[in-house]
Amino acid sequence: MSNNLQDKYVEIVNLVKAYPNPFGEDIRVVDGFDLRIKQGEMIGILGHSGCGKSTVLTMVAGLNAISGGNVIVAGKEIDGAGPDRSVVFQSPCLFPWMTALGNVMLGVKRVYPHASKKERKELAEYYLNQVGLADAMHKYPREMSGGMQQRVGIARAIALKPKMLLLDEPFGRLDSLTRMELQDVIIDILNENKVTTLLVTHDVDEAIYMCDRIVTMTNGPHARVGRINEMPFERPRIRQEVLDHPEYYNIRGSLIQYLEDLEHEKEKQGQEKPPVEEETFNDQDDLPKTPKDKTEKSELVFML
Amino acid sequence: MKYKILKALDIAGLAVLDPIVRLIYREEPSEQVRKIILFIGIPAFTFLCFMVLWAYIAPRHTTKSGEVPTPAVVWDSAKSVWVFHERENIKEDDFRVSGEERQKRIAMVSAELEKLKPQLAKVDALLTKAQEQAKAETDKAVAPIMAVFEETKAKYSADSTARKKALTDLAGTIKADDKSARSEYLKKVEAHLAQTDVEKGNLQQIKAQMDAVMNRKHQGLIEARLAKNRVAEKVQFYSKRLENLGDNNQQQKVLAAKESLDKEKEKFSQASGRALYFSALKIQRAEDRLGRIETSTYAKPWTFPAQIVRSLGCVFLGFVIATVIAVPIGILCGLSPVFMAAMTPLISLFKPVSPIVWLPIVFIIVGGFIDDPEQAPVHPAFLSSAITVALCSLWPTLVNTAFGVAAIDKDHLNVARVLRLGFWSRLFKIVIPSALPLIFAGLRISLGVGWMVLIAAELLSSSEGIGKFVWDMFNNGSSQTFAQMFVVVFVVGIIGLMLDRTMIVFQRLVSFDDAPTAI
Repeated sequence: MSNNLQDKYVEIVNLVKAYPNPFGEDIRVVDGFDLRIKQGEMIGILGHSGCGKSTVLTMVAGLNAISGGNVIVAGKEIDGAGPDRSVVFQSPCLFPWMTALGNVMLGVKRVYPHASKKERKELAEYYLNQVGLADAMHKYPREMSGGMQQRVGIARAIALKPKMLLLDEPFGRLDSLTRMELQDVIIDILNENKVTTLLVTHDVDEAIYMCDRIVTMTNGPHARVGRINEMPFERPRIRQEVLDHPEYYNIRGSLIQYLEDLEHEKEKQGQEKPPVEEETFNDQDDLPKTPKDKTEKSELVFML
Repeated sequence: MKYKILKALDIAGLAVLDPIVRLIYREEPSEQVRKIILFIGIPAFTFLCFMVLWAYIAPRHTTKSGEVPTPAVVWDSAKSVWVFHERENIKEDDFRVSGEERQKRIAMVSAELEKLKPQLAKVDALLTKAQEQAKAETDKAVAPIMAVFEETKAKYSADSTARKKALTDLAGTIKADDKSARSEYLKKVEAHLAQTDVEKGNLQQIKAQMDAVMNRKHQGLIEARLAKNRVAEKVQFYSKRLENLGDNNQQQKVLAAKESLDKEKEKFSQASGRALYFSALKIQRAEDRLGRIETSTYAKPWTFPAQIVRSLGCVFLGFVIATVIAVPIGILCGLSPVFMAAMTPLISLFKPVSPIVWLPIVFIIVGGFIDDPEQAPVHPAFLSSAITVALCSLWPTLVNTAFGVAAIDKDHLNVARVLRLGFWSRLFKIVIPSALPLIFAGLRISLGVGWMVLIAAELLSSSEGIGKFVWDMFNNGSSQTFAQMFVVVFVVGIIGLMLDRTMIVFQRLVSFDDAPTAI
């Protein structure tokens, strides 16, 4: 059981997100997203803007209703949002009327309802310390830079002791230097205690540096898993080692090439579905498979 | 230090003084001077222009209550309002004072009265002289017009008699079948009547001239009257003080009552038989009287400052009622679209209703709960004014609160969902704090509306306060009370401004950056 659970700690099965258009037809933004995540693994989801990566993440977080399929975390199907799947949003989403400490405390209080106030405060301080904000605990969000605010957001997320950490383009609005700093903050935290993590990003380097596997998504609508790429780098990750790794530029090139191909396919095929590939690594010459018929797909959804 | 002052000014909403502080600290003097001219100089100049224009236009219109008062007259009457207030306070104090202090005051007041006596005599003499002079002037001016009038009247009267006689004579000569002569006659009578009307008109014109001369104002007389009034007022004030220090003094009365009680007690100890019963009765009565005197207060009339304080109390009561109703309902409206839909018809129906309509309704309803207005802990007029204020001022708060709660950042709600916060902690930790700036923006508008409504409500309900003051002044109708109504305009304006400023400070204190501000 345990071994089995570890390998399939998070199961995303045939996930569908459909929005009705004005004519009562469902537009499937995400259609049949399948993924299994091992415990402690870090998965990156890479794709063009608007391809539905964030939709997948918010569905896993429980913030977005699931139209079809399941998400199973640690053997339990999810039911709405919860502190077991904490989210770091693109904008820091701190409460401006609370200090950094107050923002983290809010989550700590929720997860450790029986701890004394002092214990909770110590915990919150510990996590703020971990993200390097020991000196800024009593600052209000308006007194902090965007990077510092996002650090508080990270501290708030990990303070929940989540089963799964969901990062929704967490560094998308930061300058590149701050972005690298924060990447290291998260890498350090994950080195210390392994948390199953899903990172949504459109930064290829970031995904390569941080993730164990990178899932590229096909272009929407009907977005799904395109290709899953295993990263050959060891943990703990050290940026320079990753950059010096002989495979680094191959992987990077192949990912970018794949994403560009998707874009070209889309242009060529117009509204038709983009190519779909599965479970291949470094092998971008596969021919695109013919997309499945829509009706067939929806039947599948109902069967699940 | 400098930045502390600047920050305090900023929070207090007095950023207008910012350049002055910077100038004192010699920061870019030329720029600060420019700012001072722009933010203080120009407004002050506009205000000055307004005053000059007012002083020019006002005396050019005469009403039943005299000329429209100029700024100087208004300022004088503001002072007189204040003097009245101070004098009433002194009288009240006199009423309670006892012992040596009382003796000292009696001596002082008596001395003042003595000093005033020759003054009073002097102004009386001056007034009499001025009256005589005015009468002489008037008589002199009226006499020639009167002569003309009499002469004209006599002439017209003679003319009229002559015309009448001629017509009656003519009537005798007209034959029975002479139709043309008859119609001619009719025209002649018509002409006679027309002539009479013209003459009447002329006489009236002369009379009007005479009236104008008689009503002409005599500057000397007006001044003499004013001088007399000033002294007479003082005399009255000191006489009343003397009364309150003397026979009317509470402590004196208490002493007298105690003395008579003691006497009765002594009699009681010696009385027997039937007399004992009556003596006992007398003791009881004397004790009652003592109790009444001890709790008695000086029957002080309402002064304007006291009415201002009461109005402020009324507006705050109304404001608190409005807040207690509007904020929870607003939060519910913001949280639940269903509740919002349910409330919308009520809100849109009652929002535009005028205070003038609410007040009588509220007055009757409140009256239904309170049988004896004088014995009630809260005067029903006061309560209904406050409720009217609440009814009219709760809408901005309600709407702003609902908007603030509904417009809460979606990301913040998502965080709340991830944390699985319960209803109450979501409400108090997230919803209310994030809506607070808008709630306060609403409260600020509400307080402003309430303050405006209050004056009308007090005026209608005769609840003591600024509105009642205006109404009393209006009914009084003298030129002095006319000026006092202008004083009210400025007082109400300044207090409203201060209330608004206070609310801005509160609003700033609860606001965080990039929060939505007032709408």
